[in-house]
Amino acid sequence: MSKLTHCTELLHFTPDDYWQHISITDQSVCQQCRTKPCLTLCPSGVFTWNLHKSEPVLVLYKQCVECGACRLVCDNINFSFPCGGYGVHFVEG
Amino acid sequence: MTMLKHWYESKKPKKPVHKPLPETVLPCKKYDAIVVGAGPGGASAAYFMAKEGLDVLLLERGPYPGAKNCGGASLIAEHTHKLFPNFWEECECERIITQQAYWLMTEDSILASSFQSLKLAAAPFNRFTVKRRNLYQWLCDKAVSAGAELHLNHQVDQVLFDEGQAVGVEMSPPNQNRFLADIIILADGANSLLAEQAGLIPQVSPQDLALYVKETIALPAEVIEERFNLLPGNGTIIGLIGHPTAGFNGTGSIHTFKESININVGMAIADFAASGIRPYELLERIKKHPLIQPLLSGGVSLEYGSSAIPEGGYHAIPELVHPGLLIVGDAASLVNGTHGFNLAMWSGFFAAQAAYQAKISRDFSQKKLSLYRTLLNESFVMQDLKANAKMAALQRNVPYLFNLYSHLANETAYQMSKVYTMPKKAKRNLIFKKITSIQPLTKMASDLWKVIKVIQ
Repeated sequence: MSKLTHCTELLHFTPDDYWQHISITDQSVCQQCRTKPCLTLCPSGVFTWNLHKSEPVLVLYKQCVECGACRLVCDNINFSFPCGGYGVHFVEG
Repeated sequence: MTMLKHWYESKKPKKPVHKPLPETVLPCKKYDAIVVGAGPGGASAAYFMAKEGLDVLLLERGPYPGAKNCGGASLIAEHTHKLFPNFWEECECERIITQQAYWLMTEDSILASSFQSLKLAAAPFNRFTVKRRNLYQWLCDKAVSAGAELHLNHQVDQVLFDEGQAVGVEMSPPNQNRFLADIIILADGANSLLAEQAGLIPQVSPQDLALYVKETIALPAEVIEERFNLLPGNGTIIGLIGHPTAGFNGTGSIHTFKESININVGMAIADFAASGIRPYELLERIKKHPLIQPLLSGGVSLEYGSSAIPEGGYHAIPELVHPGLLIVGDAASLVNGTHGFNLAMWSGFFAAQAAYQAKISRDFSQKKLSLYRTLLNESFVMQDLKANAKMAALQRNVPYLFNLYSHLANETAYQMSKVYTMPKKAKRNLIFKKITSIQPLTKMASDLWKVIKVIQ
């Protein structure tokens, strides 16, 4: 079991199936991006590289922990908080 | 094939559609004040305003207060006691902190400084560990019983303005409606999008915002007490410096709760981005440290989590007072070292006082509301932040500060502990040579001078 799976299995979510709160504004920018900080920075691995698609960055928004770090390191990421009641919820403090 | 296509479609990012509400949607009701965010800052502001008889609406985007934040947390007793006398009789606290420690770490050693006293276990106490959910819920219950209205599952989409004056808020779906008020208090936490989108504050710098990850591990109370040498009900908070942040300036910590412990670690978002270190791998690395591992053994992982903490200090505090609008707590970057809760509650209290004065004089201008900033400035909140103002810059200018000096301190301690057959004088020379071979004496002196200038 990977370290990331260990972490995401310890999270509680109410996923929103109708609205995605994070998106990539222009996927072609990602092809040119040399550092790709989103792939390592995200504490729950929302951004995954996918070579075979015209859209190289998959956004697994349903496992987002809503820290908002991604929006501060990349202007191409369109981040907002999920709608009321949706998203992550922490129980243990 | 159609199924496959359906699968692919569902992964495609849907562009968020922003439908402006038609002007015909009538707001339900006009309040004296709307507080956005039911954390310690927002709930305190709501409570103190409601107590003064203001008509208050408290909005929270989570399904319950505390759902959207995590991380080991401690409540300073004196700060809280002054706002909420004898709070420990009402709010469910986890452990009374009788031990505070700092561990300077390398990959195989720990140099600890620790203080433990039973004096800290008597009322009015010094610090408590709390679970966020309990603390936030307790504060919200107080606000509600004082007369505030609390709406959960309500995400504010934007603040509404009328010629520069904040006049209300608009909700995101599914509760797509508007609420109006004379005063808006933004308590929406670190990385506040609302104030930024309204153009009131600039976007926070990734240097000034730290990203923390935590894991909560369940252990029986007796095991925690035995492993950390604590009396029943007492707790410890340990700051972890050096090794945990892999060469960068940042901190880790261990918080003891009743029947679980939290391991936290974090550093500036900019450092995570530049280094390519994955936050959860940093956490995993600490858990595997040969001297930390035995403390956790047999524990059951309960929850992983991550949150952002403003660490830019005094110079990162944006403009907090706007026409009809105040910013409190983490959204206002009011975090000093690791203390956020307490400053948030006090800022909520001061904002409530300013709101009350504005209400009785029916003047909601920036000038009238600037009483909030005056009260903050006159209190320990701003004065202590100001005293530590150069800390953030120091950490930027000496990026190796925590790691290198933890290493040096451990090396010195190791050499001093070790018994050689050589004479003492020769041993002292050896230690001096070892240390200065890692960092030249002049460089050490100049770093020390920089540190002294900051702490004064």
